[in-house]
Amino acid sequence: MRSAHLVCAVVSWPLLTAQVLAVPPPLPAEHLSIERLPPRSPHWVYVYDEVFDNEIDARVFLFDGDSNRRLGQIGAGFYTSVNLSPDGGTTAVAATYFARGSRGARVDVVEFTDNTTLAVTHEILLPAKRALTVPSLFNLAYSADGHLLYAAYMTPAASFGVLDPAAGTVLGEIDTAGCVLVIPSGRYRVSSLCESGRLLSVTLDAQGHETARAMSEPFFNADADPVFVQGIPTRNGYVFLSFLGEVHDIDFSAEQPSFAAPWSLVSAAQKGHWRPGAYQVGAIHKELGRLYVPMHEGGEGTHKDGGTEIWVYDLATHKQLARWPVKSHGLSKVVALQVSQDPAPLLFAATETAQLATFDALRGQLRHVETHVAQTPWMLLNP
Amino acid sequence: MRSFDQLSEHSTRSLAQRTSRRSLLASLGQLLTGAALLPLLPVDRASRAHAAAAKPDSPESCEYWKYCAIDGFLCSCCGGTSTSCPPGTASSPISWVGTCHNSADGRDYIVSYNDCCGKSTCANCDCNRNEREKPVYRPSRNNDLNWCMANADVNYHCTVSVILGVAEK
Repeated sequence: MRSAHLVCAVVSWPLLTAQVLAVPPPLPAEHLSIERLPPRSPHWVYVYDEVFDNEIDARVFLFDGDSNRRLGQIGAGFYTSVNLSPDGGTTAVAATYFARGSRGARVDVVEFTDNTTLAVTHEILLPAKRALTVPSLFNLAYSADGHLLYAAYMTPAASFGVLDPAAGTVLGEIDTAGCVLVIPSGRYRVSSLCESGRLLSVTLDAQGHETARAMSEPFFNADADPVFVQGIPTRNGYVFLSFLGEVHDIDFSAEQPSFAAPWSLVSAAQKGHWRPGAYQVGAIHKELGRLYVPMHEGGEGTHKDGGTEIWVYDLATHKQLARWPVKSHGLSKVVALQVSQDPAPLLFAATETAQLATFDALRGQLRHVETHVAQTPWMLLNP
Repeated sequence: MRSFDQLSEHSTRSLAQRTSRRSLLASLGQLLTGAALLPLLPVDRASRAHAAAAKPDSPESCEYWKYCAIDGFLCSCCGGTSTSCPPGTASSPISWVGTCHNSADGRDYIVSYNDCCGKSTCANCDCNRNEREKPVYRPSRNNDLNWCMANADVNYHCTVSVILGVAEK
């Protein structure tokens, strides 16, 4: 018996030794650090989350369409307006806060975030007049040289504030005679949309003082076929889409805006049945001249319904290039669209169930779906 | 319908074109407060179901006829009713309007959508209906604005739907 134990011990010794040797070494001590952003990419997209179920806590998420990773977050307060500086280096957030979280004294403020660190660098206190409305590129907008920043006011009387983002000061307020929002063009020109279907254009000097104003001829009819206020930037100005799918291409490069003859996204048979709709109703690749629009089948009153398809157009020829249904990819209706401006562009589509889909913008191939990217992702911005 | 449209548009234009606005807001507030005292149609308040499950004739359903141009949370699901704000909130003195068809009596009604203010979003019974709704350059018909904007506390909680009268054909 004793010899049997001895044999067992001799036989098992190498096994025990091997087991001891197989135990990995302990993990090294770790160091707490702050992650640094990688170099800026044209495939970054800033996702504005209204957080509609808890609107005092809106956010902006930064998402990388190549690595499919969320890179960071910018706080955005209540009923927020957000835009990027012309050089893409700064995110400006105009937000409202309450002294005691959900109640108390109101403070309106523009906060500037350095997009290389996602840290807030400085702020400008605003009068309590900020337009509290759904996001568009024209709630808060920079001048082309980044020297001035314009903030839409609505109390509900309409006006806008002229800000100096570098100095951190409010330079003044310009009355807009009932016309709304701030559409920047030229060096220091701001246009606003009027109920009459006209554009009011106010020219400023470098100190933010008004030097001239002019009213355009009507370019749409608010009763028959209103335009969405979510204009889409082009090389020379902006495209505004109407509820029924008319395309109003407006050149803002001259002293006063000029209007190309409108054309339609839909055929005569489709008119009134297929229509654009969303919170962000389109995106344009400026160099390629391609227009992407979320489209759905629906009647009057469905202009906020998201798109079941993305329709693609050539802006120069007005030809439809493609129709990309999204349901077959497991996507719900598209409520916001953005396209990167590089030669290998990505098309980003946010949906009503908070998916963020990334497509090859040239061929329409789905590359990735990020689920639960936000609560209510209603606007996408990219540098 | 036309006369009410003109009234609301005129009010909005006037608001927008004046630089001294407090007195006008106060007047509009009195107008709407008075309007809220107009006789209301009887509504079914029996249901306690969530908006998604509530029957279309329930004021807790997004499909309820008065909600044809509402974008927000139903006060009926937040401690109030379709015509009353929840306890502890404040009603907005200014509003947008819709024109809604009541199939029960075959009439069209002008409906004032007032927000209830001063608390965080109710986050119950989120409805988004936009019949004849217009963008923000026509504020009297726009439901994207936070209509608590002229309140002392502008935080948005929920929305009520108050009949102002029969729309004239």
